[in-house]
Amino acid sequence: MKIISERYVPLVVSVGQVVIFPYYILWLKEVSLTLTLFTWFFAAFSFSAALGYRLFQVGKKPADSFIPYIYMGMGCVYILVGYITSTFEVLPYIALFFQVILGLLQGYHHAWHIEQKSFRLHAINHYLLVGIIMIGLSSVKIISPISFISTFGAILFICGMGLLIKKSKDSSVSN
Amino acid sequence: MEPSQLKSNKQVIHKNPWFLGILLCIFVVSVLASIPIEKRKYGLSQSNLTTDYTGLLPERIKKIVKAGDRSEIQEMVKEANEMGYHISIAGLQHSQGGHTYYKDNVVLDMKTFNKVLEIDKQNQTIKVESGASWEEVQEAIQPYGLALKVTQSQSIFTIGGSLSVNAHGRDIRFGPMAGTVREMTILTPTGEIKTVTRNDSEEWMKYVFGGYGLFGVILDVTLELTENDVYTIHTEELKTNEYEDYFANLIRNDDTSMHYARVSVAPNSFLDEMYVIDYIKTGKVDHKTPLKKERGARIGKLALDIGRQGGSLEDLFWENQKLLIKSLDGDEVTRNNAMRGNSAFMEFTKPGRVEVLQEFFIPVEHYEEYMSDLKRILPPNDKNDDFKIHNITVRYAAKDDYTYLNYAKEDMFGLVILIQHGLKEKEIHNAKTIIQEWTDLTLKHGGGYYLPYYHYQSKEQFRKSYPSWEMFQEEKLIRDPNGVFQNIFYDYYF
Repeated sequence: MKIISERYVPLVVSVGQVVIFPYYILWLKEVSLTLTLFTWFFAAFSFSAALGYRLFQVGKKPADSFIPYIYMGMGCVYILVGYITSTFEVLPYIALFFQVILGLLQGYHHAWHIEQKSFRLHAINHYLLVGIIMIGLSSVKIISPISFISTFGAILFICGMGLLIKKSKDSSVSN
Repeated sequence: MEPSQLKSNKQVIHKNPWFLGILLCIFVVSVLASIPIEKRKYGLSQSNLTTDYTGLLPERIKKIVKAGDRSEIQEMVKEANEMGYHISIAGLQHSQGGHTYYKDNVVLDMKTFNKVLEIDKQNQTIKVESGASWEEVQEAIQPYGLALKVTQSQSIFTIGGSLSVNAHGRDIRFGPMAGTVREMTILTPTGEIKTVTRNDSEEWMKYVFGGYGLFGVILDVTLELTENDVYTIHTEELKTNEYEDYFANLIRNDDTSMHYARVSVAPNSFLDEMYVIDYIKTGKVDHKTPLKKERGARIGKLALDIGRQGGSLEDLFWENQKLLIKSLDGDEVTRNNAMRGNSAFMEFTKPGRVEVLQEFFIPVEHYEEYMSDLKRILPPNDKNDDFKIHNITVRYAAKDDYTYLNYAKEDMFGLVILIQHGLKEKEIHNAKTIIQEWTDLTLKHGGGYYLPYYHYQSKEQFRKSYPSWEMFQEEKLIRDPNGVFQNIFYDYYF
């Protein structure tokens, strides 16, 4: 069980993020009113990721404690993106909010991930998996990129929930 | 402090979470404040398809010629006569029915032709090139304590464009816009430059006004002006069936200069409630108050977007609108500022959908019966419908004897309607069906519809609305034998 949570879940998350990001970008492009705004969205993501990265580094709590919530948070954002069916006018504002949340969580996750023992192993697997999955996805006729985004959101959410359940089990065993 | 420590302090500042947090907050707030209101791309383009404000009629055009000096434009018209190509005239392209371009032909872009040539304070006139916007005219005349006699409720249009559609606005005293033009210089379809007046025996003005750019290029106009009066705003809530009496009193009373009304399109009060806004003379003239700038567009747009959701949210929007209008009661405003309503908040940017305008004219004394009949063909709650009505404004359009293709054959109320619908073929067809039914009802009541908008109406409806169309066409063939001036609008209706 520990092997799964330590080795495979971070891999799923990091590979999934890369695989899903093109679909997310398609959504974001639809939402962006101009190219300038589109790039600003990514600037917000980066600034926010820097903050998330740093928050992990200066955190005093055990590093693992927030990770399930990080996954669940990312999952929620992707699920919400999938749920927004109508493109109403306040969407750019919501997208900016999503970018900040995603950046923060991804920065934090990245900072945590590179400190894990399995990270070096992931690096190669990561690239190979991304490549294979992308080729696989290219053969799938897209009905809506939104369906991929929300599916990935659900996977992240389940990963987070699974880690939380595992944690509570571990703590009850140690008690 | 030792140098090494200083160095390390410098290194950590950009890694300080507080610094990063503040940086992020500042950035996010500035992006929030800079999110643009408008996404749509419309207008003239040679590399892509050209569209007008609605974007419903995209076409590829051959060439865009920016208006230089008048001899250049004259040469171009002469060349078109010889070479056999067509010219369309474009200003700011707020006309929505393909009036400003034509497939595979040349567009004359008049936006650069915008100089103020002369202001005569004594005689209260301004001579200005036709590509100038009303805003530019207002900026020129405001320091003299002068104001326009007739203009649209927003100042974002070009003078040439407004005259070509013989626009009307909130003023109820000075008649149609065409009546406020003392003199103008036109370039005829055969390439002659003529200065014409209303008494001109050749009646050029009658064809150029409301001529949709088909009878020549308006080069400059001399407009009659009036004082920049100060008005007190009076607002009142009415039932629709009280409006005719209210207006009859208002028009008898000379104190009111401008007026318009709004009709509820919210489900709970659909076409039953109205509010009116009157601008009452105070006897004061203003030379100092600056022209107002558009403010609060973002909030206005958000409120309108809420209303656009329909159902109970539209009821909420209507109630708020009434409160907002009530809060204006008793305020003072200058004539110039009353003539420059906000527009940015109306921008609509939903992919796959479009917001269009339609305007129906109805004889003043038919208003009550018409509104009552209208309730039978329109659903009060369009929340789940593709065809949605967001706004109906009522304006007064006085009888017009200045143009041939005139919409006000007698004193009329113009109902300006903001409509939203989808862009799929069946959605456009559905919109067309509803608008044609609406047009039939209007015709039944002795009214008509306005031509600067997208042509949902049939040719037959056009001919009934504008019985002088035949004469208009005959004159077009006589005055423009080579068909130099052409556009999609003409192609569709004639």
